Amino acid sequence: MATDGAVDWLCLPNFDSPSVCGAILDAGRGGSFELCPTGAFESSRRYLPGTNVLETTFTTASGSVRVLDALTVSDHGLEPMRELARSVEGVSGRVAMRWRVEPRFNYAGGVPECGWRHGVPVASHGCDAVAVASWDAGQAAWHGEAVGAPFEMAAGGRALLALAAASGEPLVLPARHAVEQRLADTVRFWKSWTAARTYDGRWRDEVLRSALVLKLLIFAPSGASVAAPTTSLPEKIGGERNWDYRFCWTRDSHFAIDALLELGSYDDAKGLLWWFMQATALTEPRLHPLYRLDGGLRVIERVLPLAGYRESRPVRVGNAAIGQTQLDIYGCLFETAWLYSQGHRALDADMGRVLARVADYVCDIWRQPDSGIWEVRNGPFHFTHSKVMCWVALDRAVRLADRGELSGRHKRRWEREAAAIEAYIESECWSAALGSYTRTAGDAHADASLLMLPLMGYGTGSRINGTIDAVMRELREGDFVYRYRADDGVPGGEGCFLNCSFWLVSALACVGRVDEATALMERLAARANDVGLYSEEIDPSSGEFLGNFPQALVHLAFIDAAVALDRAAGNGPRT
Amino acid sequence: MSAFGSALAGGFIGTIVLTTIVRAAAEMGLTRMDLAFLLGTIVTENRRKAKAIGYVLHFLLGLVFALMYVGFFELVGRSSWWGGALLGALQAVFTATVLVNELLPVVHPRMATTDSAANQYALIEPPGFLMRNYGRNTFLVTLAAHIAYGAIIGALVSVG
Repeated sequence: MATDGAVDWLCLPNFDSPSVCGAILDAGRGGSFELCPTGAFESSRRYLPGTNVLETTFTTASGSVRVLDALTVSDHGLEPMRELARSVEGVSGRVAMRWRVEPRFNYAGGVPECGWRHGVPVASHGCDAVAVASWDAGQAAWHGEAVGAPFEMAAGGRALLALAAASGEPLVLPARHAVEQRLADTVRFWKSWTAARTYDGRWRDEVLRSALVLKLLIFAPSGASVAAPTTSLPEKIGGERNWDYRFCWTRDSHFAIDALLELGSYDDAKGLLWWFMQATALTEPRLHPLYRLDGGLRVIERVLPLAGYRESRPVRVGNAAIGQTQLDIYGCLFETAWLYSQGHRALDADMGRVLARVADYVCDIWRQPDSGIWEVRNGPFHFTHSKVMCWVALDRAVRLADRGELSGRHKRRWEREAAAIEAYIESECWSAALGSYTRTAGDAHADASLLMLPLMGYGTGSRINGTIDAVMRELREGDFVYRYRADDGVPGGEGCFLNCSFWLVSALACVGRVDEATALMERLAARANDVGLYSEEIDPSSGEFLGNFPQALVHLAFIDAAVALDRAAGNGPRT
Repeated sequence: MSAFGSALAGGFIGTIVLTTIVRAAAEMGLTRMDLAFLLGTIVTENRRKAKAIGYVLHFLLGLVFALMYVGFFELVGRSSWWGGALLGALQAVFTATVLVNELLPVVHPRMATTDSAANQYALIEPPGFLMRNYGRNTFLVTLAAHIAYGAIIGALVSVG
């Protein structure tokens, strides 16, 4: 949603489906759903408290209008497969409004067939179709491949628009009262979900907003969590680092499970864990860095002929990182299982057997180089973070075995290999000159991923403090932190990854530097956009958001930092 | 196997093949026709239940039409796979032009027609002539699926 009321990115029917509205990646032909005053206006936005229902207020010289936007939740009746409801209410005066829907199926690659069904404008392409139902919002008319109408909104007046989508089935043309009812139900659903969250720390409002973002990024049919709902929003304006994040990353799972448990959202945590174990069933003990939302592995990276966000090309869909070896994900899996188990949720016996096989596999492969957490494309290298996460995998495997959650038959081997990894890290991945653990074995560079070490329970004392200081000294710019300063095999620059800033907060809190962490957190919290969302990165000089948006990992890191600060301050008991 | 048994076997297998062809065509982006959804929403407005009920109804209809095919074969005194295919083609034309296009909207309580009251309740998009509203290739998909259905019945009856 843009501040001018336009829906510039909408993939239907699923997160990872081709876009129907893609103006954010090609303003000329991407397609959008515009709804705004016809004349000059100013707009302000907020989410209705405790919901993911967006309220935009347009103020013009002649009056003001309020618009509510929501993807409606199911009422289990005869409803559209997917539905975007847009409710318009006149607040004061009279405002000339207009709406315009220009559907561009298949990333603007398909020419839509436009027509009418039962007086409702409909556009279709292949097995996909959308209908745009409107009530008291003018007389809709097609103009080429766009449909829309002008209408006037007086104080107290109400209009309603609903974009109903279908894929592989006939459209359902919704009735007004049913859309209004679903919109009201959607508000209630979100308020009810938010009210059930248990976090009550200092950062409550911001954490709940992040939680709502996280919940919104969960693909309801499978329980998988998408890393971000967008593709190819650039890491630098005009740059080439444009990636598709509409997949579920193994790495994100333990952050998500941790956050969901902290928030008291056990069902979502269980859903995500079970989805993950199901998705990995065909490939275990080997794990992949990412999976499709349906658990599939067929992800082909390709370039679309679109102009790109502010001319940032290429526009990519798919993600070649799926084929990389990334050793840290094994630690993520075990940390996920450990956190889940620690939350007094017993693991399934089959899950225990799978985890035991994966632990054995980690013993076999931890000596290999990999592409690491940052998915570099010029590797592989012996990343310190990856080795630490292999240690995490075996450390948690031993702990889970001690709890009887998985067979302890190979526990001795896991303990032995964990000790070997630790010895390797302490000898090969430490630089006395830098006073820090290093990015890779044998080099003398800092890396923001090393901020994860204290969060994972690896290392103590001066070495961890030294590592945090080295990261701040070498990679920090203001309140923001670069991932690293090294060639990664991809041309072009990037901004500072916001999750690194929040990891810094967590790391500082973890080692007792609470005042420093709190001050940084306060400044970072003020960097969220007008409705409390964060993108993947930020330009440290301009403060402009970069990268895909909103990004789950950043919001997860925010929640983690808030909880770490509360805990460090002694007022945040773990659930 | 008796003609009755062949009809039931052919109807069952033929309906599986027909359903698979239509579903595969939808996955290939050729059509939005969903027979289970269309049939199931006659009896319930719950879209999840509708698909399950719709599949059952569709299979029952598949058996009924198979019996009608066998009746026709008995009437003319001969049966063959190509005769079944021909009947399937005729059924496809009838389905696309009359059965689904004209009759279904009349009996379907939740399908839009020119007589439906607007805005009172949700309505399913009507199929239109040759069911083109569900995609311009829908008739060809329907034709291919019904030819396969009829050929299977014809073949089983002729060897039965």
